[in-house]
Amino acid sequence: MSLEGKVALVTGGSRGIGRVIALKLAEEGVDVIINYFRKKSTARVTCEEIQSKGVRAHAIKANVGEPDKIDAMFDEIESEFGRLDILINNAASGVPRPALKLDDKSWDWTMDINTRAFLLCAQRAAKLMPNGGKMVSVSSLGSRMVMPVYTSVGVSKAALEALTRYLAIELAPLNICVNGVCSSAVETDALKLYVNDPNLPPPAWQTTPAGRMVQPEDIANVVAFLCREESAMIRGQIIVIDGGFSLFPAIFGTEGGSSGA
Amino acid sequence: MADASVEETVKQIVTRIVRKPELNFSPEATFKDFDADSLDIVQILVAVEDHYDIEIDDDELQDVQNIGGFLAYIENKIAEKG
Repeated sequence: MSLEGKVALVTGGSRGIGRVIALKLAEEGVDVIINYFRKKSTARVTCEEIQSKGVRAHAIKANVGEPDKIDAMFDEIESEFGRLDILINNAASGVPRPALKLDDKSWDWTMDINTRAFLLCAQRAAKLMPNGGKMVSVSSLGSRMVMPVYTSVGVSKAALEALTRYLAIELAPLNICVNGVCSSAVETDALKLYVNDPNLPPPAWQTTPAGRMVQPEDIANVVAFLCREESAMIRGQIIVIDGGFSLFPAIFGTEGGSSGA
Repeated sequence: MADASVEETVKQIVTRIVRKPELNFSPEATFKDFDADSLDIVQILVAVEDHYDIEIDDDELQDVQNIGGFLAYIENKIAEKG
């Protein structure tokens, strides 16, 4: 089932996982609006990549942690496109500190961008989806597993997943499907914020039953599926994409299925 | 010598974000003197980018030592934009 002709907004869509999601949707014929935080030059390159797929691309600079910036972004979407079919809530930020060193400013910054932004974007997006639509939130395993210095992000992602479930039920009468994806560590620039910490466990690929780390394309493929009509009866679910990482304690080695083979 | 309007605008932005009533915005001052943490600095950079419609390169900022250098960098970016 094609997504051709749909219009999508990918927050944090100029780089990393968001960029790959944006390109995946573009490949499927979706006109893509990417929201970015700071780097216009990076957003411009991603827009060119999107356009090379034969669809329309549009970049909007906005810190989604600020409600007025979200409003301005949706005003622009409304005037430029008139509607929205798909919202991908991907933008994320965080302050890598343990709980006892987190101040209120760091906490608010993380929650505003990672969690509140989805609520505010969903409120505006729903009004641009008169015939229904799809919303997908991008979470991480820090929502359910404890990782060093990941406190604020992990809590914000747990709240994001809960919000995803609430939105799924409340927006169901509007024919809007809301789901989420939740991945283990992905090899992107953002990961570099955390891998320098000597307290972190061995690289995820050493303990992933699937034998490799999750790539952005793995996430983009599931997101695209959740944007298609064939997934319409999946509502409020968080699809874990981790190669089995969260199911198999590393203490038992890396080959969970081999003992019975 | 920094452009007076740029200096005043940046000072207003910094004052708003670090939430201090009076700043000694001398060329030799640093963001650290204003108790600005990393989040404050990111917000300052974004606000300045938005105000002047410029892009600030974090790598280039590594060479900036103080407010005087920051203002000179901003003026240069504004001039590059034309």
